[in-house]
Amino acid sequence: MVNDGAPDIEVVARVLGGDGEAFGILIRRYEPGLLRFATRMLGNSDAAADAVAESLVRAYRHLAQCRDPGRLRSWLYRITGNRCRSHLARRHTNDISLSDVPAPALADSSDTWAVLERGEQVALVERALAALPAEKREAFVLKHVEGMSYEEMAAATGARIPTLKMRVHRAREALLAALEEVVR
Amino acid sequence: MSPIDQRLQEALDGERDPGELPVDLRESYALLSAAAQMLKAMPPVSVASRVMTEIRQNPAPVQSEGPAHRLMHWLGGGRAVTVRLRPVWTLALAAGLATVLLVPWSSSLPTPGVAQGIANFVGHFPGARSVEVVGSFNDWSRGALALNDDDHDGIWHANAVLPAGPHEYMFVVDGERWVSDPLADHYVDDGFGAGQQNSLVIVRPVSAQP
Repeated sequence: MVNDGAPDIEVVARVLGGDGEAFGILIRRYEPGLLRFATRMLGNSDAAADAVAESLVRAYRHLAQCRDPGRLRSWLYRITGNRCRSHLARRHTNDISLSDVPAPALADSSDTWAVLERGEQVALVERALAALPAEKREAFVLKHVEGMSYEEMAAATGARIPTLKMRVHRAREALLAALEEVVR
Repeated sequence: MSPIDQRLQEALDGERDPGELPVDLRESYALLSAAAQMLKAMPPVSVASRVMTEIRQNPAPVQSEGPAHRLMHWLGGGRAVTVRLRPVWTLALAAGLATVLLVPWSSSLPTPGVAQGIANFVGHFPGARSVEVVGSFNDWSRGALALNDDDHDGIWHANAVLPAGPHEYMFVVDGERWVSDPLADHYVDDGFGAGQQNSLVIVRPVSAQP
């Protein structure tokens, strides 16, 4: 019996050895972040839940293809990112609807933010994020929401690190411009 | 939209202390940091039970099943007919292939059924300790089909009866390195992004052979 704190590589070995229930450990470990990532990419929690559920089942079916179980997290984000891209492609647009995710408390209440109610702040940020092209939106979310290093982002997206840095920088510029337009 | 100060980018990348930024950049830093913080809210949903139900209803094949058992299960029945021709790569590989084709392994393979054929897997991996094939035909399971290099010339080979049609596969070298077949007929995207490709073999049914 593998415990919840076991390293990914150990849990993966258990699952591949026939202990399908052990996959539940990986779901508990990564589902919240994957759902958040997909929600930010798709702008809709129902569509995100579908994308993550499909991705996790796909990951389970193809777990033997995970060439480096020590980097399972990046592999799961890659699969989920692909599902999100497919979903967006089916809609023939990068536009996403505003999320129904509740807002967290602000970590930093600067003066510029104080002029807006929290709900307005969240709506503003989500609208600015939704207006970004999918690649820049993905880069910003992986970097600043999921807290990945550029190396992890490269593994999760297949893009090169300089390309990812450029996407993050451009996303910051666009977000900052959109936010400053309103709050200043 | 105009480019933002490189010092701000560096601070946001964790490469510079934001406390050292000028006041205007510090405000921009706070604005973007607060925006990112807002996006960290966790969605109040879970798909865990849905996924586990799906997994329980359709469990994946067990990897720990004995290699011999898996191999016997996979090979099915039939007599050997080579249906896959590969270009000659090097003289050494040509020599190896000649040996492979001249040695009567085929007599040990079961007879392919009407909708089956035989795939030959050959790879040049000098210095490798082990080489095996995993693919769509064996659910990408390790330990199902090992290649042999009995004469230690670096040319590894195996053949097997497979259902007619396309099959994706990869070589696994020394138990950890996944390698596309440089001599594959075709390549297809592995479906996981990042532009990685699986090798593709198209097995023709014995009934289609001249």
